[in-house]
Amino acid sequence: MSKELRDPRKTFGSAVFEAAKTNEDIVVLSADSGGSSGFGEFKSTYPDRYFEFGIMEQGVVGVASGLATTGKIPVFCAIAPFVTSRPYEMFRNDIGYMRQNVKIVGRNGGISYSDLGATHHSLEDFAIIRMIPDVVILSPQDPSEIENAVKAMLDYNGPVYMRIGNQSIPELFESKPFEIGKGNLIRDGQDVAIISTGSLTANVLDAAKVLEDKGYNPMVIGMPTINPIDEELIEYAARKTGKIVTVEEHYIPGGLGSIVSEVCSKTFPVHIKMLGVPKTYATSGPYNEILEFYGLDAKGIVNSVVDFINK
Amino acid sequence: MESQKIKSLEKTAAKCRRKVVRMIEASGAGHMGGALSCMDIVTALYFHFMNIDPKNPKMPERDRFILSAGHKCMAQYAALAEKGFFPEEILDTYGSLHSKIPGHPDMHKLPGVEANTGALGHGLSIATGMALGLKQNNMGSKVYVVMGDGELPEGSNWEAAAAAAHYGLDNLVVFVDNNGLQISGKTAEVMNMDPIGERFRAFGWETAAIDGNNMEEIVKTIEYLNTKKGRPKAIIAHTIKGKGISFAEDNYKYHYWKPNKDELEKAINELDAVIKEETK
Repeated sequence: MSKELRDPRKTFGSAVFEAAKTNEDIVVLSADSGGSSGFGEFKSTYPDRYFEFGIMEQGVVGVASGLATTGKIPVFCAIAPFVTSRPYEMFRNDIGYMRQNVKIVGRNGGISYSDLGATHHSLEDFAIIRMIPDVVILSPQDPSEIENAVKAMLDYNGPVYMRIGNQSIPELFESKPFEIGKGNLIRDGQDVAIISTGSLTANVLDAAKVLEDKGYNPMVIGMPTINPIDEELIEYAARKTGKIVTVEEHYIPGGLGSIVSEVCSKTFPVHIKMLGVPKTYATSGPYNEILEFYGLDAKGIVNSVVDFINK
Repeated sequence: MESQKIKSLEKTAAKCRRKVVRMIEASGAGHMGGALSCMDIVTALYFHFMNIDPKNPKMPERDRFILSAGHKCMAQYAALAEKGFFPEEILDTYGSLHSKIPGHPDMHKLPGVEANTGALGHGLSIATGMALGLKQNNMGSKVYVVMGDGELPEGSNWEAAAAAAHYGLDNLVVFVDNNGLQISGKTAEVMNMDPIGERFRAFGWETAAIDGNNMEEIVKTIEYLNTKKGRPKAIIAHTIKGKGISFAEDNYKYHYWKPNKDELEKAINELDAVIKEETK
């Protein structure tokens, strides 16, 4: 695997462009957001399939719904809060309730728009979008997984929300076809199960190495699909380790941690430590420093996991 | 347009109004005022203009009807039933558990419904996307929308109005059912959006102002605007809320109607008289 870091937005845009070469129904909608979403090549190659609307997120979600009724597969990507919390009712009614084949992609998700502050952070998107029935939620973890998730998203007939970041990220896994609803058992173990999603899985893998060095045997699970969640894998982790730590770039309540605890409560209840951002307007600054501040860097994850195991 | 055709459409509108009352009778209450104000427009679209087939409700080349003001759904249900999209007996399930005709339309429950409207300010964006997609597919299909004047303050409408003009969607025809009343009183006093036509014109739309309860004006205006190219069209249709039931006309208290027995009987008698009169 290449050690080179890749921009998730460019990776995403290129993957849509590749799919669009063989699927003429794919159209891209932009709310003055296409260029930063990696759609430069798509726009220049398929100008008649690229629709610019200006800064108009509510309208664009409704338009996407209408376009989908005519057989198009609209892909709308913009800064995560502007495609989730701002047009929430349009997402709920026009996409979810109407069950339209629309792909909404929130980029710069989590706190990856670090220094731009809380207006541009998206720490509640999993929580609010998973309350819309039948919407698939994807949160791929590395560049190859983004590419494969884009293919799966475009092949799937129904509403999808995908979240990507904006910080360049490393390859973590061998490229393989993306299965919606499947988690990855990255490392088996028995002392604790660490379940993470999105690009933070890189930090979890670093943390796992440190934990190994310290003599622990952690299980590591990546969850690139938030909804529908891989209940079987969570139950396996709960039964085998009896202790779960969740790691996500999301508010502690409402996201992956809550989902895992919902699953465990009905299958095999265990103690769960949820790592994420407390429900506050997150601070701003350099991305890595914010992660460190909230204990989401490798060191912070190690400390939380060790404390939790020894409790 | 011969006067016989107009008369026939007027009769159909009266039959549809009678169906609205039938639904209210079944459920005990409903959004009657707005359903009746737009009934003539909805009738003209379903029974004269729209290329639709009750036997093939999803045919790709069909024209689309979007009821942005979803609470007026009884008008659409009445037209769909009269047109043969579903058995009339379903009208008697209005307000009942699991009804295919809920208080706001659900496309997955009833053939002929194109969008799940009800939350106001959504229909025009959805319709804009439909019109854009149909144009791209070279379908020649039209998208007709009925909006309420009370929903015009929703900003999302104006996002869609800008987009529809930007993309020159001349296959999009919007009626503003301008009955001047909403649940809290007169629309001009609740939030004044006049002059509605000028606002649409400023956004780049072709506009017309008509009496929206006059069948001949409705038909002639759509015919005329359908010849115009390059811009979306907005028809500001001045209508009377509760039109067709004398005691409910122009009275905001009948926006949502929970009739007593006497009112119901009077309404039924009035509409039956019109239907019989026109049948002669």
